[in-house]
Amino acid sequence: MVQLTPQHPYVTLRLKFKKVGSLQYISHLDLVRTMSKIITRAKLPLWYTEGFNPKPKMIFAAPLSIGTESVCEFMDLRLVDDISPEEAKARLNANMTDEMQVIDAYYTEDKLTELKWLSYSIDITTDNASVELAQSCERALLTDEVLVKKKAKPWEEAPTVNIRPLIKEISAELRGDVIHIDAVLSADASAFLNPEYVVKALRSACGILSNPDLTKEYYSIMRTAAYKADMSEFR
Amino acid sequence: MSHNPETKNISSVLKAVNKPGRYIGGEYNRVMKNKDEVKCRFAFCFPDTYEIGMSNLGVRILYDVLNRDKDIWCERVYAPWEDMKAKMEEYDIPLSAVESGDPLSAFDLVAFSLQYELCYTTALQMLKLAGFPLRSKDRGEDVPIIVGGGPCVFNSEPVADFFDLMNIGEGEEVLLEICHLYNEMKDNGTYTRAAFLRAASHIEGVYIPSLYDVSYNEDGTIKEYRPLYDDVPTKIKKRIVEDLDKAPYPDKLIMPYVETVHDRIVLEVYRGCIRGCRFCQAGMVYRPIREKSPETLCKNAKCLYENTGYDEISLISLSISDYSELRELTDGLLSWTDNAHVSLSLPSLRIDSFSEELMKKVSSVRTGGLTFAPEAGTQRLRDVINKNVCEEDLMRAVGIAFRGGKSSVKLYFMNGLPTETLEDIEGIADLAGKVVKEYYKMPKQDRPRGVSVTISVACFVPKPFTPFQWEKQDSFEELIKKQEHLKGCITDKKIRYTYHDAKVSFVEAVLARGDRRLSDAIELLVNEGAMFDAWDEYFDYDKWMSAFERTGVDTAFYTTRGFGLDEILPWDMIDCGVTKEFLLRERKKAYEGKTTPSCAEHCNGCGANKLGGKNRWCN
Ligand code: SF4
Repeated sequence: MVQLTPQHPYVTLRLKFKKVGSLQYISHLDLVRTMSKIITRAKLPLWYTEGFNPKPKMIFAAPLSIGTESVCEFMDLRLVDDISPEEAKARLNANMTDEMQVIDAYYTEDKLTELKWLSYSIDITTDNASVELAQSCERALLTDEVLVKKKAKPWEEAPTVNIRPLIKEISAELRGDVIHIDAVLSADASAFLNPEYVVKALRSACGILSNPDLTKEYYSIMRTAAYKADMSEFR
Repeated sequence: MSHNPETKNISSVLKAVNKPGRYIGGEYNRVMKNKDEVKCRFAFCFPDTYEIGMSNLGVRILYDVLNRDKDIWCERVYAPWEDMKAKMEEYDIPLSAVESGDPLSAFDLVAFSLQYELCYTTALQMLKLAGFPLRSKDRGEDVPIIVGGGPCVFNSEPVADFFDLMNIGEGEEVLLEICHLYNEMKDNGTYTRAAFLRAASHIEGVYIPSLYDVSYNEDGTIKEYRPLYDDVPTKIKKRIVEDLDKAPYPDKLIMPYVETVHDRIVLEVYRGCIRGCRFCQAGMVYRPIREKSPETLCKNAKCLYENTGYDEISLISLSISDYSELRELTDGLLSWTDNAHVSLSLPSLRIDSFSEELMKKVSSVRTGGLTFAPEAGTQRLRDVINKNVCEEDLMRAVGIAFRGGKSSVKLYFMNGLPTETLEDIEGIADLAGKVVKEYYKMPKQDRPRGVSVTISVACFVPKPFTPFQWEKQDSFEELIKKQEHLKGCITDKKIRYTYHDAKVSFVEAVLARGDRRLSDAIELLVNEGAMFDAWDEYFDYDKWMSAFERTGVDTAFYTTRGFGLDEILPWDMIDCGVTKEFLLRERKKAYEGKTTPSCAEHCNGCGANKLGGKNRWCN
């Protein structure tokens, strides 16, 4: 473990955690507020920022958007004291509910920005699921240009962008009555691809998820793994 | 409202609504029990959004009290926002409790916290979403007992037909007694709705509206409230908790994932109020004054901090600076909060208690907004309403604040108070002008910014159980005229003027002072979709007026008419401790412009001491 000095007043504990089930409906901002209470309750030896309004420092990688579950979220926490990662993990988990739990905790000096790719599972439930539909979904995402309209302010014209360069891998298959898609998407801060855009592309290309009856057609997204630029596991 | 697997595909519904986080439950510190191991399932409903309901201290306390009993499982229910409500109706999703996700029909008792009159439509809309008949008399044996509580039930008559049981006063003990009676009758096989309600009417602090017959005189005033049976009490005495130091207080709080209105630790310092402002209902109905000791409060605070991780503690009560051991309490808390990076906040500071010391010690006083409530513009009118502060107090307080670096202040007033004249209105503008001048008394180098004074003016609503309960409310036209007059008196750009919508106050007055003859109008509104009337964007004055008109309600009868001193009032069957004689005495003094000292100076014999309790001031 690194020696704490005035130049280096803290160590960085990295947490890998899950956020699943109903917690997919919690925004990133709400997650941050929730986490700050959790780390206080867990009585971790927190490092506080200097200044008038000291706060513990939490840094998150690639914020999740509402509606996406995850089993590989990362967060860095600054501590001023030696505490075993196992101990930290146990204390944190005792202060969280089942739907959010730390999977792994370790000290690190690597940057969170080394995280470049994220893989997702997208499950689409639809009445007319078939092998053909799965194939056409895969084809639609493997063409040279996958165009989607970006979100825009109501008064702006939504720009159309090609998301294909941000898709590293994609595959689709039929699993029961569900179209299952595995996708590896860019997580680079400057070129982050929200998996919702993949769903959006499929919606316009294959005409799925257009039934207004929400009980007939629906989908779920799960973030499953994280990689560095060379596709080695990020941790 | 989502965990029930039987509720099909609710997740796709959640993706289609705004702020889905408010519907998911699953919070840390919520209480989960096995529904097969409890005898009584209790749904605590808050007729407003999750964000507002989660912040309510009463609900937090009662949730804790009920769940301490192993035979009871108390869960929470909130009103769905409009978009969610539409989806629930479209997909036949019944209103359900946050903890279990079970529909309200699975519960034994369903209680509503009625905090403000304008929540009535939302409460009834929730009954509809649960699939229950609106009126008590139409409910069958399979429908839970519908309970009402909170400040509104000091006159619950406008909604009396919709509730089976009203809890008058503090609920900590009564609700447990109600549940125990319910369990007992279920166990020994004597339970029917009728038998239960009749037996419950014998519990002190319980009012069963259906057990009373109301008759009216020809002029529309009430002739008589008659219990249907001899064993049903003619007067229902409010319940209080005797000793707050011994009463349970939550040692943990449910931690919402989404941001709520008061997302922090709340310490209730005392109940009641020593002041006796003559327009204030809370100041009367929460008497007698019972304080908690600083030791208990410090213990509560530490424990809540460890179990929540909140970084803010808010001390609440009607007028925090009247707490007799405020210094001991703040010193006790500050001894550890600074190191733990926890800040203290004190709302509701009285003008005459604002001090340099508080400004130094308490961060919310140091950094927060500065608000004072002189309530009236002239000393004459302040004496009428018994707001015992004077201009010098205000100037001293703002002076301290300005010298401490503040440059903006908000002042609260009321329009339409009894005996108010245009001169009193002008006094409001005057007072604001003097506050501006006070700022410019400081040397130039001490005022880096310009000063800003906001005056916020509400409309007077004569409330039950106040010395002004008989008063008439100004007509809508009069209120508008006064608001306009004040607008004309303000010429200084440094003074900002905001005022309440007189239409809202008018409907509030009808509901606060109404009787059972309002129920048709309320039912009609609810059937036509009214909800969230406490929200400006949903309050529709024309709809209210139309509903009153179509059901034959003369609104003037409840508002501009004023009530006769010898008239039977809709809330006369409730005994809130404070006697009618005291209220009449206070009313007389108001018209004589005489003030009444606070209970800390001497007891004024309001009658609340007869309720007992470990009182601070009463003799
Ligand atoms: S009994 Fe006396 S001291 Fe007690 S609340 Fe009433 S007036 Fe105040």
